Amino acid sequence: MTNEAVAHESEHHAPPPNVEADVIARELIATTTGASGRFKAWAWILGILSVVGIVSLVVKFASVGDDSTKWGYVAALVSFLLSVAGGAPMIAMAPVMAKANWVRPITRLASIFSFVSVITLIMLIPLVAILPPLVTEGARRRTIWYLAPDYSPHIWGIAGLLLLIVTGMMLFYSAALPDFASMRDHSTGWRQRLGKRLARGWVGTDVQWRTLRMRIGMFGTFYFLILVFVNFLITTDFGQSMVPGWRDAILPMAHTVSGFQGGVAAVVIALYFSRRFMKLEKYVHLDAFWSLGRLLFALTLLWIYFFYSSFIVFWYGRSENDIATLNHQIKGPFLPVFIVGMLLIWFVPWWILIWNKVRRGTSAMVVGSFIILIGLLLDRIRMFVPAWSVPGDQIHQKWLAETPAAYWPTIFDILIMAGGISSIALIVMLMTRVIPVLSVWQVQEFNLLSKPIKYVRGHATLVAKPD
Amino acid sequence: MSKSILGLFQQPEPAADAMDGLKEAGFELGTFDVLTGTPYPEGAFGEHVPQHRLFRFPAFGAIIGFTLSVFLTAVTQLAYPLVTGGKPILSVFAMLIIMYEMTMLAGVIATVIGIVFESRLPNMQPGIYDTRITEGWIGVVITFDDESKVADAESVLNKAGALEIKHA
Repeated sequence: MTNEAVAHESEHHAPPPNVEADVIARELIATTTGASGRFKAWAWILGILSVVGIVSLVVKFASVGDDSTKWGYVAALVSFLLSVAGGAPMIAMAPVMAKANWVRPITRLASIFSFVSVITLIMLIPLVAILPPLVTEGARRRTIWYLAPDYSPHIWGIAGLLLLIVTGMMLFYSAALPDFASMRDHSTGWRQRLGKRLARGWVGTDVQWRTLRMRIGMFGTFYFLILVFVNFLITTDFGQSMVPGWRDAILPMAHTVSGFQGGVAAVVIALYFSRRFMKLEKYVHLDAFWSLGRLLFALTLLWIYFFYSSFIVFWYGRSENDIATLNHQIKGPFLPVFIVGMLLIWFVPWWILIWNKVRRGTSAMVVGSFIILIGLLLDRIRMFVPAWSVPGDQIHQKWLAETPAAYWPTIFDILIMAGGISSIALIVMLMTRVIPVLSVWQVQEFNLLSKPIKYVRGHATLVAKPD
Repeated sequence: MSKSILGLFQQPEPAADAMDGLKEAGFELGTFDVLTGTPYPEGAFGEHVPQHRLFRFPAFGAIIGFTLSVFLTAVTQLAYPLVTGGKPILSVFAMLIIMYEMTMLAGVIATVIGIVFESRLPNMQPGIYDTRITEGWIGVVITFDDESKVADAESVLNKAGALEIKHA
């Protein structure tokens, strides 16, 4: 088996052999117990950073809560968290609907990210408190809310994110029911009690399996619809509406698609570390990385497509309004951030992921994914920090007469961002202590439906697609 | 009080043979079922495929939502007849967004209700079960109102190669 695995690593031949169902159940459930010292140390570090981040958020709100120009980095963090935590669960839905076999073992890991959206909500709360109402001093600023009640962006922003959290968790829970039954049957202590409570009498009848498929499909579809809606609200209400004259119809979709890119990158990183440190090589095959690599490559190219589509409208428009928007978003004080961000979210990963050998491996893929996430963060900073830097008394102008000076992060901004980003890793790590990081029943299904075979003089995987 | 027995198999083929045997022995469809820890392709055991009615829920919800949205938008515009841009009072294009949103919303809510209803969860009386099912074993469970048929069912399960038979 080792030789075959090595051959698979180097030449993408000879896929690893199938694993017996009882071994899968036993080994994957065992991954929830017995955390290593290194795991605990990282969990403590990330936990402390997360708590410090939330405390810093409270302190910042208490000290500069009435000055919206000081909240750009928190807005950028909310956008970044929404992109990563909102985009990652899409992997638990979109390829599943396309009946891709490679994705079955990793849907759990992707759907765990939906719990991170709770942190997005926490970070959004002060922004909602600071966001000006639609009408201030008798004047209504330009937003998507034509004649709507004054606090519509506030209410819908929170409601949309809450709905995303609930749907994401339902998507997770729908697919986790059989694994809670496995925990009920084979785990011990509090995990067994939790499994018994959450399995809701699951025994695996034909009706239960049929409705499970329906639930995953339906909650997955709802999740996608709501995710696009929330991206639309965040980019328009917490971005464009803060800047007079910034009207970009492509931005919400560009934000959504780059969010998918960030989500896939985050799943690649999580998959890499869980595969390596939890010894899951025989369950997470290289096919998964290969397929994720192609997806990531396509999404990386989409970033430049959407950016250019948006940019060209302002570039050719050349009205005062267009020039002001370009100066504010690209050519202004955040030009270095824009250039570095563009290089890291598009150019560098493009040149890494373009090579077949990279996409078939794991190490370079994970490096590319880290680069994409750094680029995504810079892209969000470039977008939201200048937007929130516009003084409140200028938001009623027709366009931005003067580009505001760059607002550089304070120590609180840095701690809040470090805490927010740490919380992503922390929540994913802690969830692996609650439920197997790979879905037991989907790994069993993966083995049930695929079989490594010798094909003429080469090797192939025979995959059944019965549905 | 109904009685059930569970035949346990390690391989799918004998479990499918047991399902065939039960049909041939005259057991009614719906009185026996297969329990698995992973979703086998539909019909793999020759099992009875129950008809679900889930598709009716979103359709029914969407019709209600659409009707309400037409009512809401039409009545609102007629109650406050403001001419905007020379357009008619009842302007369909202005109504479309709300009609779409309400149709979707009612469809989604009805679907969630339908999922809860059709999933038969929580299963308050899970009945006879074995923890080895989540380790890849396959269970064939038969429920009786008439205890005289227990022996027949056991005979079918044994003939198919059940490794163990449990009673409840």
